[in-house]
Amino acid sequence: MHNRKRLTIAYLAMAAALLVLLALNLFWGSVALSPSSVAAALLGRGQDALTANILFQLRLPRAVMAVLLGAALSVAGYLLQTFFANPIAGPFVMGISSGAKLAVALTMVIFLNRGWLTTSLTLILAAFAGAMAAMLFVLAVARRVQRMSILVICGVMIGYICSAITDIVVAFAQDSNIVNLHNWSMGSFSGMMWGNAATAAVIVLPCLAAAFALSKPMAAYQMGESYAASVGVPVRAFSVALVLLSSLLAACVTAFAGPISFVGIAVPHLVKQTLGSAKPLHVLPGCALGGAAFCLLCDLIARSLFAPTELSISSVTAVFGAPVVIWLLVRRQRGEAQR
Amino acid sequence: MSYCETHALAVGYSAPLLQDIALQAERGKILVLIGPNGAGKSTVLKTLAGQLAPQGGAVLLDGQSLTDYTPAARARKLALMLPHTPRTELTTCFEVAAAGRYPYTGRLGILTAADKAAVREALALVQAQELADRDFTRISDGQRQRVLLARAVCQQPELLLLDEPTSFLDVKGKAELMESLRTLARERNIAIIVTLHELELARKLADAVVCVSPRGVSAVLTPQEAFAEENVRTLFGLSAEQYAALFGKTAAKPKFEHYIRSGQKLLRCGYTTGTCAALGAAGAARLLLTGRAPETVGLRTPKGLVVEVAPQFCRLTAAGAECAIVKDGGDDVDATTGLPVIAAVALRPDAPHTVTIDGGVGVGRVTKPGLDQPVGAAAINHVPRQMIAEALHREAEAAGYDGGFAVVISVDGGEEAAKRTFNPHLGVEGGLSVLGTSGIVEPMSQQALLDSLQLEIHQAALRSRRLILAPGNYGLDYLAENLKELREIPVVKISNFIGDALDMAASEQFEQVLLVGHVGKLVKLAGGIMNTHSRQADCRTELFCTHAALCGADTVTCRALMDAATTDACLAVLDGAGLRGPVMASLLDAIQTHLDRRAAGAFTVGAVVFSNRSGPLGQTKNADTLLKMWKEG
Repeated sequence: MHNRKRLTIAYLAMAAALLVLLALNLFWGSVALSPSSVAAALLGRGQDALTANILFQLRLPRAVMAVLLGAALSVAGYLLQTFFANPIAGPFVMGISSGAKLAVALTMVIFLNRGWLTTSLTLILAAFAGAMAAMLFVLAVARRVQRMSILVICGVMIGYICSAITDIVVAFAQDSNIVNLHNWSMGSFSGMMWGNAATAAVIVLPCLAAAFALSKPMAAYQMGESYAASVGVPVRAFSVALVLLSSLLAACVTAFAGPISFVGIAVPHLVKQTLGSAKPLHVLPGCALGGAAFCLLCDLIARSLFAPTELSISSVTAVFGAPVVIWLLVRRQRGEAQR
Repeated sequence: MSYCETHALAVGYSAPLLQDIALQAERGKILVLIGPNGAGKSTVLKTLAGQLAPQGGAVLLDGQSLTDYTPAARARKLALMLPHTPRTELTTCFEVAAAGRYPYTGRLGILTAADKAAVREALALVQAQELADRDFTRISDGQRQRVLLARAVCQQPELLLLDEPTSFLDVKGKAELMESLRTLARERNIAIIVTLHELELARKLADAVVCVSPRGVSAVLTPQEAFAEENVRTLFGLSAEQYAALFGKTAAKPKFEHYIRSGQKLLRCGYTTGTCAALGAAGAARLLLTGRAPETVGLRTPKGLVVEVAPQFCRLTAAGAECAIVKDGGDDVDATTGLPVIAAVALRPDAPHTVTIDGGVGVGRVTKPGLDQPVGAAAINHVPRQMIAEALHREAEAAGYDGGFAVVISVDGGEEAAKRTFNPHLGVEGGLSVLGTSGIVEPMSQQALLDSLQLEIHQAALRSRRLILAPGNYGLDYLAENLKELREIPVVKISNFIGDALDMAASEQFEQVLLVGHVGKLVKLAGGIMNTHSRQADCRTELFCTHAALCGADTVTCRALMDAATTDACLAVLDGAGLRGPVMASLLDAIQTHLDRRAAGAFTVGAVVFSNRSGPLGQTKNADTLLKMWKEG
């Protein structure tokens, strides 16, 4: 049972990395806090109100958000890869994040211009609508072309179009909002509050659970649609569920943190290689753990590398994620040539 | 009721592509769908698998309409294998096969110990157990197909549907897959429906066949009906030539391709009944010794040519095996052409290295003395007997078998055909003779033969003024053995055309001509018969009788001579009466007279006469002179 041992070790390692990174995210920041005071504050024995504030109102919600959204992103990526039977499918590459971003930007600008309040829920709904619109477009293209590379190019083009429209929209926004909007559209975990985290948790956690519950038909679906149907998978309902779940997860991330690139591709791939398995039953929990750890790491780098200046989270994820995508493309090309 | 059957089924995507499909699949049997690409084989299969809704009619699975099954219930009865292999990553063959356990596993699809045992059993069934831990992408196409078959077996189906399972397989892969399918049908009692575009494979695999063509879907046919030439040609729209090009082996058996030139024409040679008998014996022996019926059998004939043909059939019988070879006379069509010569072979392990040969139905029996075989024996001459024995020894050696064989040769329709031959007259009754000294039949079309004879004599004339003429192979053999010193002189084989040959020799201005021939042929010259073919005239016994009477033979001897079957028998009678010397001398004188008359002074001509049994019988006066002259140079 070599495999079971490997799985256990990999899960334990990812969980350990997650905990360590979580701790680092709490200890590390532009305001230097001593480890002992952080520990004291965490244990509720802190005397210093400022430390407790920074910790509980800034760093902890941000870290929790990174965990939730990181898990959501990589699981969304994995679901899309399963659906399209392609390792380079992902919410960002396929333009789904960009669709959500455009919808969120439009909503924000319209709401701000009219002086209405934007709640997390409205933003999530807008993002979901945008994500679904982009997804439907991608599906329509996928119906016509079989080549995955063309599909990805279409996704990237959608991304550009959406970004362009977003920029135009931002130009019409009131000055005071531009900075916020701009920061958001670059992708960032900054400014997360407990309310955001709670809303995100309410959406992300059930979605993750639902995805995990679908791991059995997902494994059958990996063999191809016809094989899945032949063993009794209700293929139509199942693919609708996959599309909805992945869009919802991607939309949720975009609504809160803006478009975050490449996590959805890089993490599932790294997790599969680490586990030595592509079974959804194994990979889904791994994706959640790995995605969370990956986003914590990237956020830590984004906010501490050039502190006090914060980098956009996408800049960091792209540096780690894009090479993985390139490597996958090259390997795939070689595989196709061999077949 | 069949396990799976359709009633007035119509299949298609948005509109019916094929209608009125009524097929039945039985458990334990393999039903093959054949037909041209794009006709809808896969569409039918997808509809049977429930992946495509019927456009009309119904599919009944185990007596219940397919649409009434839940997907999970259906998956426990019916498994599907598709032509394309799924792309996987980081997936072992065990996991691929285990995917077939889907209908049986729990909510999360975790395998129980029983599931794992079922997967291992399925892998073992397709002989892929050693692949279990290998990555699915790193095995051969053939192995992948077997693992996918194991996946289907894991579903524990009662009906297995396969769409072009052999598409990307090499020969070995195909063989292994076919074996696995047969095992599944037989041992698991599964009904199997498979589409195949390769007819050869389909023919070997099918228990029943349904033809799918754009014009419609046939009923369930037997393989014999389905693979009949007419049906295959209609199904695929093949012309007779195309069919022959593709399936030549079955449409027209491979012909023996050896030609002789005659003037402007090429004549195709055939092979003798003796060659057929030896080939048949070899085929039957190979089936007995190796368990496999040979596609073709071949042998080297005494003439040196190799004959290789496909048996008409080669099958096991209660006592042994029998193999039929169709006689092919080439362009020389005679009574035996087209008849199957059947060799029934039985093994005699207790009689090492022996071969006993007998004749069966359609092979004559010797009733008069003087023939190649003794009275009472089957009319199978010694050369064919030798060929049969040699062929069997070769098979035994190849198979490492030490025992003996008992062979019975029969000819289908031989008795009837024998009436059109001289056999009854010769003293061979009840059927044909199995003959042939060279194993090869050279065509005897008269004009063609005369043309080629003319050419040969002309060529000989370019070399010499001296010529030896021999009617047949016997004469050539005799020359080679007894008159070696005449090697330098050109020899032409003239068949029965002795008069014509003499005329040609005259026109080519030869000076000295010697005939060397068997008494059975040359004795006819004593009666002035210059074409010795038995269709023209016989008179051999009459001539012997007349000359014996002239030499003082009594009535009894004359009667015995008239009743003799062959010239050798005549010689035996004469020996008995002490008259061989004078009678032969008298005959040789008559021969000389008739030869001189034909030569009409154009050249000196003589004759040397022998018999296979008695050796040299004598030579004419001129032959004495010629031989003396030639031996001196």
